[in-house]
Formats: sequence, structure tokens, C-alpha cells
Amino acid sequence: MSDTPVKPLSAESTAAAGSLAGGQSEAIGLERIAHICLVVGGLGLAFTLFGLIFGDEYRVGLGALIGATFWFAIAMGMLFLVMLSHLFDAGWSIIIRRHLEHGISVFPWLAAIFFFLFFFSMVYGEGGIIWKWMSESSESIVAGEVSTVGDDLLWHVKQPYLDNFWFIFRNILYFAIFISLAWALRRNSFQQDTDGDPKHSLSSRKWSAYGVIAGALAGSFAALDWMMTLDFHWFSTIYGVWFFATSVRGALAITVLIMLFMVRKGVLAGIFKQAHLHDLGKLTLAFTMFWAYISFSQFFLIYNANIPEVGNWYVMREGLNWQAVGFALLFGYFLFPFLMLLMYRTKINPGLMTFFAIWILCFMLLDIYFNILPSKMDDLGESMYAFIPSFWDLTALVGVGGICAWSYLRSFAAVKPIPVRDPRILESLHHHE
Amino acid sequence: MSASSENNGQIFALIAEFETPGAIMSAAEKVRDAGFKNWDVITPFPVHGMDQAMGLSRSKIPIVAFCGGLTGFTLGMSMVYYMNKVDYPLVVGGMPYFSPVFPFPVAYELTILFAAIGSIISMFLFNSLPMHHHPTLNYEQIEKASNDRYFIVIESTDPQFDETKTPNLLKDIGGNNIGKLED
Amino acid sequence: MTTLTDTVPANTALIDEARPADLPRQVLVENDRDFDWITNKICGIVEAKTPTWWWIAFTLSAFVSLFTVFGIIYLVSTGVGVWGLADPVNWGWAIVNFVFWIGIGHAGTLISAILCLLRQKWRTSINRAAEAMTVFAVVCAGIFPLIHVGRMWFAWWLFPIPNSNAIWPNFRSPLLWDVFAVSTYGTVSFLFWYVGMIPDLATIRDRAKTKIRKIAYGIFAMGWRGSNRHWRNYEMTYLLLAGLSTPLVLSVHTVVSFDFAVSLIPGWHTTIFPPYFVAGAIFSGFGMVLTLMLPLRAIYGLHDLITQYHIDCMCKILLATGTMVGYAYMMEFFIAWYGANDFEAFAFVNRAFGPYAWSYWIMISCNVIAPQFFWFKKIRQNPMIVWIVCIFVNIGMWFERFVITVTSLSRDFLPSSWGYYSPTIVDVFTYVGTFGIFMFLFLLFLRFLPLMPMGEIKAVMPQADPHHGKNHH
Repeated sequence: MSDTPVKPLSAESTAAAGSLAGGQSEAIGLERIAHICLVVGGLGLAFTLFGLIFGDEYRVGLGALIGATFWFAIAMGMLFLVMLSHLFDAGWSIIIRRHLEHGISVFPWLAAIFFFLFFFSMVYGEGGIIWKWMSESSESIVAGEVSTVGDDLLWHVKQPYLDNFWFIFRNILYFAIFISLAWALRRNSFQQDTDGDPKHSLSSRKWSAYGVIAGALAGSFAALDWMMTLDFHWFSTIYGVWFFATSVRGALAITVLIMLFMVRKGVLAGIFKQAHLHDLGKLTLAFTMFWAYISFSQFFLIYNANIPEVGNWYVMREGLNWQAVGFALLFGYFLFPFLMLLMYRTKINPGLMTFFAIWILCFMLLDIYFNILPSKMDDLGESMYAFIPSFWDLTALVGVGGICAWSYLRSFAAVKPIPVRDPRILESLHHHE
Repeated sequence: MSASSENNGQIFALIAEFETPGAIMSAAEKVRDAGFKNWDVITPFPVHGMDQAMGLSRSKIPIVAFCGGLTGFTLGMSMVYYMNKVDYPLVVGGMPYFSPVFPFPVAYELTILFAAIGSIISMFLFNSLPMHHHPTLNYEQIEKASNDRYFIVIESTDPQFDETKTPNLLKDIGGNNIGKLED
Repeated sequence: MTTLTDTVPANTALIDEARPADLPRQVLVENDRDFDWITNKICGIVEAKTPTWWWIAFTLSAFVSLFTVFGIIYLVSTGVGVWGLADPVNWGWAIVNFVFWIGIGHAGTLISAILCLLRQKWRTSINRAAEAMTVFAVVCAGIFPLIHVGRMWFAWWLFPIPNSNAIWPNFRSPLLWDVFAVSTYGTVSFLFWYVGMIPDLATIRDRAKTKIRKIAYGIFAMGWRGSNRHWRNYEMTYLLLAGLSTPLVLSVHTVVSFDFAVSLIPGWHTTIFPPYFVAGAIFSGFGMVLTLMLPLRAIYGLHDLITQYHIDCMCKILLATGTMVGYAYMMEFFIAWYGANDFEAFAFVNRAFGPYAWSYWIMISCNVIAPQFFWFKKIRQNPMIVWIVCIFVNIGMWFERFVITVTSLSRDFLPSSWGYYSPTIVDVFTYVGTFGIFMFLFLLFLRFLPLMPMGEIKAVMPQADPHHGKNHH
């Protein structure tokens, strides 16, 4: 690498041949990809259902939760990025925001998948398949002895919260919040494409202001409900913030991949420039640090206090091969990307950024595994399952992911690839370092 | 051509004034393309894109900062290791003598401290500051340079420097009030 | 190296379709002022004759700062009994004041660093004063732990310096982390502030009419001459300092929160403390920035530089951080119940309904409810009301630390050792005196140093863009 300044990649510096108008997704074969995604997604979900019925329903259930949570986290992170970009009145990110808006179209489908999991966990067999507290007859370890949830004093204290009906009600609320926020932000943005009215921007700003509050509450309690209550003895006040941090990391990684894909397909060629990639890289670095900060704070305080009632969560994650996973998170999810992303040259290199986006997504999945899978206890109160990804994890991941990709592409086909009438669109197009 | 000071010293450089950031930018590009090496642009604030217009590379300070940070972190960890494990082992709260967890805040703060100090010191070193005797500071119009005017300084040590051609060049690229700076 | 447009032609048809809707950005400097006006305005503050109000305020703050001096002398010469500390509350006002002042400082770093990284250009009008505030707040904060160590002439034992006792500090103690965090914070904030000031000091030097001024400002300007070869390194350093200060500012209040959170006291040991303390610190700091800047804007007629837009932005940050603090209060309360630990649950019920309920509800109303007024544009546009709300924020954040420190200590595990803490007059005077110290330093800053970063303000104005007035891509 030489020291010469990297030339900014401007729109007119490349030949303007074979340009693509917006909305022509069939021209680049995305229509076909969308169909494939739908079929793969449907097959994945069907396989997962098969696994739930004919496999170890406890393990497959957790795998399904991992897959669904992974994609949900990414969608939620995207929603937060959209809202933050409205709140900061950001100029540079406008061309990126449109793709986030496609990404957040997935909430209704995710809602269907999650509610299926909730009901499955409640009614299948004895109940309490994924969340053991859903059935009083599930096994629970009380003071080192095998007992049932119904005989667990802690469950009785927490029962007003850990109640099936109330749980479903809360989740309806969460998804209502996410679906309506996504709907309003998408409608405003798409509407503006046609009429160019600045009032849509102002409306989105308002929605975002209320939305971050509602979304932060819904997202935090969703994290508590889906993951923290898996081991309902444990509690941590920072847990919602952790989920937010890991979500935004996932969303940024996916965004980098989408943007680079769209450049390669020609849709955003000459539009998504080095300066945008650099800024996305900076955000990726910032949230890498933020995730580390939040995760470290939680670990550090629990380690230092050394109280059994909260320390046990980490003790369980030292059993089987989970300690290795913990270290993998420390070095792979934080240290390696952190050190590499510090460097300017990593952040402006599309190849390296693609690598790190994929890398971060893999470790984000590992982070979700780490938070979900070890919580299932055996008779000794230790983790029942080691970190061994199963076929059913894969079907759930691909199943939910296929549906999400299909939803993204369907939305992509309907409108222009950049919000051409956004008040800040020129700032974004002229963004340079 | 107005002489800026008495003709009693060696010529250090020629200086020309420009009115707007746009003017200085295009002028700088021309000086760069003419192949000058020992020259400078004086502006009251950093003009966006001027580094490229002057043909300067990216600053090297981040490397120093990174090394500073690494030193700070290593120092923090090894200091705690030596003090609390080797030299004076102390049992507190049932914790191990050394673990990377509890000294982390200390090592972290030292990382930041060393990186920050490293970047500031290297900024001064790379810029050869403080330097209170630079000929530019004797320029009688220097007040404008920290207010709202922009200047190009071409030093006489530049191999391309020519006492007759260079002033013409400065004039051609739009410079006003071309003057001499003396040692 | 692969680049983004190597292979695929640019999608110019799409680019040509872009026609932005009409929603202009707010200007950062109103009334179309030019660069010369800004230089004269800001340098004018330090070049003009010392105003009478300044002398009055300066004398008054010097007098008030004596409260702290005499408070400490009285404490040291008489004994710790002159403070209100008594079992079980052994952390009283001193710790509350320490955390309060450290928190105030955080907005300065936030404005200079985080907003710089986020390219929030409106920061330029307020960042210098806010950084000065940070440095002075750290000075005020540092006084309290220094007294609290007891024999403050041995305070250097806190640092890992070999001493005649041949023992080293205990690095497992959060109080020692504090030493490192706060001293790093003070040092880096000071350097950041100073480095930012160098170009402006050079401007004052160049304009100086007297020899003494020329030499004095000249020394501190380090021979700065606005060379672009210097700006290049300077801007990189500034950016790096911003990048370093951001994790630093997070870590400082995190470490302060560790003072509480690594212990086992109910109400203190909760994992959300680090981000919650940081949000609170930024909240309180912005409250103080507005408390200081609104009067300055009126006195010096800085309405063109600190515009309604600036005030709007700061009010919105107050609203956001106040709401984050509210989130933390809510989450703490919820988990205190959900955690099913009797002591923890009691600690929170006791906060809200126990003997200190008055302080808890002051905290809630000032920190969570008061900033909600900023949802309304009408209120954000009235500087008087904004200022009053900010005073409430300052009060509320002091009470937050009071609630955390005192309610948990006064009623812990053993009811027989419960107590009720009240400060003495010495506590009160020592604390009030720190406002005198703070104002004393801040007034000196106003008088002698550039209140706003002229270079940075100029750089974000439209005239500074080399393509200004041209049709460009």
C-alpha cells in the first residue's frame, strides 16, 4: 500500500454506461432470487417443524429460538438505525436508509414465527418446552435438588410476570410496536418518493422520537422474555442494553453486505461510495466497542460481586465447551474485529469489510447461542447441551432467514433503490471524505 | 510588488494572498502540479480537501497513538502483575493474585492516557512546534492569516524556486499582495 | 486493493433522478456573518476592557470559594466529627458531590468528542466552554475524595509509587480504579481543551496590540501559524483525541459506578449501573452547559452563534438522556422485584416510600419529568423556561447521587443498625464553596481565553467550503 491519498470515488469519474433505473429488480435477476428465498425459507421452516415433532423437541425448540432471535435482532437493529438517522437528521446515510427500510418489512413474518414458538412451547406435550416456566410440571432445580417449577419458590414470587397469558399479551404489544413503527417509517419514506413532500420527513422524525422510547422498552423486555427468563432464577438489569448492542452490530454487518451486493449488481454503483463504506465501518467499530462495554460490564460486576444467585449464569457457561465459546466471543466478536477496524484501510476496503461483516454475523450468532443454549439445565443444574450446532439449528436459521430475505427483496422490487426525493439525498450522494 | 520587510536579510520565501477557500484551493492544486516541494498553505482553519490539493499523504499520527495505547495497556497489566502477584502478593476478597479481569480498568485508562499523550506529542514533533521564530510569523499581514485570508508560501530552498518566475506564477494563479519573507 | 467502482458502471440514471424535497438545514451562524465578524466578536471578549459585572462576579465567587477552603481547614484541624457521617452512613455528601461534579464534566467531553465523531456541526459554538467546564468540574470533583482519604498529605500513596512502607496499592479496589480513571480523565480533558485552543490563541496573539499580550499568548500558541502541513497533523490529532475521549468518558463514569456496583449493598449491585451512570452524567452535564451558556449568550450578545437551533439540539439531548435515566430507574425497580431478593426489593421500596422518599421524588420529578417539557417546541424556544428546567436537572442529578448513596447505606441488611443521615453546616458550606471555585475558574477562562473555537466555527460555515457558490458534485 502506498501513502498516496485515496482518490474519492465520485459518480462522474466512472463511465455512465448501462445505467439502471430504480425498481427494475427483475433486470438483475432479483425476482428469481426472491422466489428461491421464499421456497428455501418455507422448506427450512417445514423441516424445523418436522424436527420439533420428531426430534428432541427441547433442543430443536431452542435452536428455532436461536434462529428466530438472530433475524429478529438484525431487523430490530435496522429499525433503530432508521430511527436514529431520522433523529440525527443525518445526511450521509440517506442512500443506506432505504435498504434498512426494506429490512424492517420482516416484522409481521417474524411475529408469526415467534407466536408459533410461544404456543408450541405452551401446549406441546407437557408444555414448557422452550421456556420451562410455561408449565408448572416442568423440571426445575431448587437448591440443588430436582424439583418442578410449581414447587419452585422463586417461580411463585415471579409468577405474576412469568404467566402464560400475560406473556402472550406482552409479546403482542412488542410486535405491535415494531410492526407499526416499521409501517409508518416505510410509508413516509416511500410516499415521499412520489410526492416529494418534506412533511413526510418531519412525520418520520416524530415517529422516531416516540419510536426509540417504545422500541427500547419493547426490545429490552423482549430480550428479558425470550432469553433471560429461559433460566428464570437469573436476572440482570443491563440485559436489554446488551440485546440492543448485539442487534445493531448484526444490522450493521448485514447492511454492509447488502450495500456491497447492490454496488456489484450495479444498482448502487457510483452511489454507494468509499466515504459511505468508511462511515459504516466507523459505526461497526463503535458498536463493536459498545457491545464489549456492555457485555464486559455485566460480566465484570457479576464476577466481582460473586453472589451465587447471579453468578450461576456464568458458572453454567464455564461448563461443557461453553468456556471456549466465551473466549471465542471475547477474541472473535470483540478483539479481532476491533483491532482490524481501528485501521482506516480496513474500513475502506470492500473485500475486507465483506469479510468482517460475515465474521461479525457468525459471532453474533454465537453470542445468541451463548445466551440461549446453555440455559437449559440437566438434573445437576448444569448446562444440558454443549455448543454443537445441529441440523435443526441450520434449518431454523435458513428458514427464518429465507423468509426475511424474501420480504426484503419483495419490498426492494416495489420502490426506488434510493429515496430520490428525500430532503438530504444530495448530501448523501455528494458525501465524500 | 510590495516588499513586506526591509531588504536586509536573505529571502526565505515568497508569499501571496488569496481571498476565498475556493481560490486558494485551485491555486494550491496548480502549485502542486508545477512540482514545488518546499511550499505551504496558510489558512485560518483547516480547508476541507486541501491535503489532496497540496498532494499531502494521510497523517502518520494514528500509528503513534496505537503504539502508545499498546504500551499503556501492557504497562498497566504488567504493573498490576508485578505489584499484586510478584512483589507483594495480597489476598483480597478471595480473588486470585492476578487475573486479567480486575486490573482491566487500570490498564484501560493507561491505554487511553498513553495513546492521547502519544498523539499530542507526535503532533508537536511532526509539526516542529513550538517554533516561535518562523519567518512567516514576522510577516506584517500575518493577522489576516488567522482571520479570513489565505496565503501560499513558496520557500526559496525549493529547487524550482526562481526569483523572477515564481512571483509571476503566484500572480498567474490569482495571488494578490505578493511579498517576500526574510530570514 | 479492490475499490467500489472498479467493475460496474455508475448508475447515473438513478443519480439524475434525485430531486430533494425542500427542507433546508438550519444555519449554524445566523444573519450571514462573515469570518472577520466572528474573529472580532470572540477576540473582542478577551480584548475589551474588563466589564464591571465580571469584577463583581469574580469577587463574589472568590468569596464563596473560601467556604470550601475554611470548611476543609476546620475539618482537618478539628476532626471528622464535624461532618454528618456516622454509622451506618459513612459515604455522605463528599461522595455525592464527587460524583455530581465528575458527572457535570462529562457533557464537555461528550460535546467535543462524541458529537465531533457524529459530525454534529452545531457543537462548534459550545464545545470550548463545555470543555473548560469539564476541566473545572474535575478540579472540583477531585477535592472530595482527596479529603475523604483522611490524611490527604498521604494521598500520593494511592499512586503506585514506591514508598517507605514497601507496599503497593490494592488493584482490586474500585477506589483505586477511580484514581486512574479520574486522573486520566483530568489530564486528557485538559490536553484536549488546550490543543483545541492553540489556533485561537494564535489568532489572539496576531491581533495583540501590547508586547505583554503578544508574549503571553505567543508562548501558549506554540508558534502556530496556520500552516496546512500542520493542520493535517492537527486535525488527525484532534480526531484521535475525540476518538480516545469517547471511550474515556464512558469509562470514567463506569468506574465511578463500579465504586457502588461491585459492592454487595442492596440497591448498588446492579448490572445496569455503568451505562446508567454515563447517561446520567451526560444529562447533568448538558444541564450545566445550558445553565452557563444561556446567560453568556445574553451578556455577550452571542445570539448569532448560539442560535435557537443550538438550544433546540441541547434540549433534545437533555430529553433523550433524561429518558434513558428514567429507563434505568424503571429497569432497576423491575429487576429488584423480579430478582426476588428481599433485601434488594426492600432497598427500592425504601427509596420510594421510606424516610428518604422526599429525595427520591425530587430526583424523579427533576430528572425524568422535568425534561419531558422539552417535547414542546414552545418551551424549547423560551430561554428562560429552558434555563429553569436546567436548574431542575442540576438539582435532580445531585439528588440522584444522594438517593443512591444514602438510602442504601442508611437501611441495609440489619434493621438494628439502621440510621438516618443528615449533613452538618460544614458539609453544606464545603459543597457550596465548590460552586465558587468552579465559577472563579470559569470567569478567568471567560476573561483570558477564547470562549468559542473560531477556527472550528469558520470551518463549518458554508463559506468555508471550497466549492461554495459553485455548482458542484
